[in-house]
Amino acid sequence: MGLLDGLRSIFGTRAESDATSGADPDDLFGMSTAYLTMAADLGYEPTGHAALCFAEVDSHEFAGTVSDVRAILSAGEAETGTVSRFVDDDHGYRWVVFEDEDDFEDLVTNLNFASDTFIEEGYGSRLLAAVFAFEGRGQPADWIYSFRRGTFYPFAPKPDASHERDNQLELKLSSVLDGELEVEDDKEYWYPLWPSEGGRHPWE
Amino acid sequence: MQWQPDWGLRARMGLTMFLLFALYIVFFAALWAYSGGSLLIAGLVIGSFSLGQYFFSDKLALRSMGAKTVSEEEYPELHAAVQRLAQQADLPKPTVAVADDRVPNAFATGRNQKNAAVCVTTGLLQTLNQDELEGVLAHELAHVKNRDVMVMTIASFLSTIAFMIVRWGAFFGGGGQRRQGGGGIIVAILISLVVWIISYVLIRALSRYREYAADRGAAVITGKPSALASALMKISGEMEKIPSNDMRDEAEMNAFFIIPISKGAIARLFSTHPPTEKRIDQLNRLEREMEGL
Repeated sequence: MGLLDGLRSIFGTRAESDATSGADPDDLFGMSTAYLTMAADLGYEPTGHAALCFAEVDSHEFAGTVSDVRAILSAGEAETGTVSRFVDDDHGYRWVVFEDEDDFEDLVTNLNFASDTFIEEGYGSRLLAAVFAFEGRGQPADWIYSFRRGTFYPFAPKPDASHERDNQLELKLSSVLDGELEVEDDKEYWYPLWPSEGGRHPWE
Repeated sequence: MQWQPDWGLRARMGLTMFLLFALYIVFFAALWAYSGGSLLIAGLVIGSFSLGQYFFSDKLALRSMGAKTVSEEEYPELHAAVQRLAQQADLPKPTVAVADDRVPNAFATGRNQKNAAVCVTTGLLQTLNQDELEGVLAHELAHVKNRDVMVMTIASFLSTIAFMIVRWGAFFGGGGQRRQGGGGIIVAILISLVVWIISYVLIRALSRYREYAADRGAAVITGKPSALASALMKISGEMEKIPSNDMRDEAEMNAFFIIPISKGAIARLFSTHPPTEKRIDQLNRLEREMEGL
């Protein structure tokens, strides 16, 4: 907590400023090289899925922003081969889900486009997280990017749907990729994004 | 893959041992000079009791923890793990003991590799998974391999003597026995006090370096630095910080954050174990080295 945050707390505006703080999508590009390390050093391959999670705003303007994002993505679809769709989850959040089996970097680029558009239109604070899905030996291991914190952290749910995390694997991922990604130091912010019943991804 | 020796750690450990050694030489000379040998001899007699302790250290430590030696029938998996790791570390299989205690902990004891014992608490067995348990056992075996009981006994031997002289000297010296050389005795007691304080801090530092060395040893023996790191996180409660509530349910809430009160430099001087974060950082570095980054 810096001096500025301290002052904001004293004046009681911290909650407001935290909730409206911008996001920096450029950090996302760390993922476009980190996936190589995931495969080469750890044996975890991208599943071909990435997704952006955001909270709705009940306004005409925001609806316009969402259709802008839609338009940009479908225009890029022909070029990059990355398919995107919009999904509502059962927590009341919306997701832009990207699929691209052959080119992980296209996934990162498209996701960055989408988050960039939200931020330019002034809705950066509505972005919650980006998720990049990986798998190795049948074990899921995702990297989650928190827009609020501007950091990445690992999330490895145990495959038996027990709502337990594989802490050891998460530690391994964070120590191997620390430096290549801006990894979140404070483990209190390693919030899970649990998949729904029987699903593999949190947006299902 | 190649493990890189940690020269920084070795240098710090070497310097600490050198300072202790130099301190004790000065201590000896001063005792001889100020008390004409009488205190020195008395001190050595008292000190030899602590050497006796060293010979029975395995029995004593196990008894003080309320640990019982367990057979292979009682704990087959624990025995198998200890045996495998001992082979890996090129050690004879130590005695395996279990203490009935809910606090997760482990220690190794014994004056040499043949008389070593490794003890774990029931709490540790319940808290850790197989990989994590092996990390902790390997850490204890690394202590055996590095002969830490012997190193620390020798290091604290003279510190014990100095402490005895301070206590015993204050008792007798202050008891009005005003014979010749009484002034010398007072000086000798003061010197002992200074030696005891300095050696206390040095021994604590040495102990912390031995812990780092044992962590490194465990990482090499198991080949899984992250397993020991996650065991340390579980034991220290760091693991409980990782949330299990979904981000989407937490995002709307305003959490109050409590700033942890960090220990000051003074508290760090007196601790025998390095802070868990630093140990985990070191293990993370080893993990990266292992992955060839």
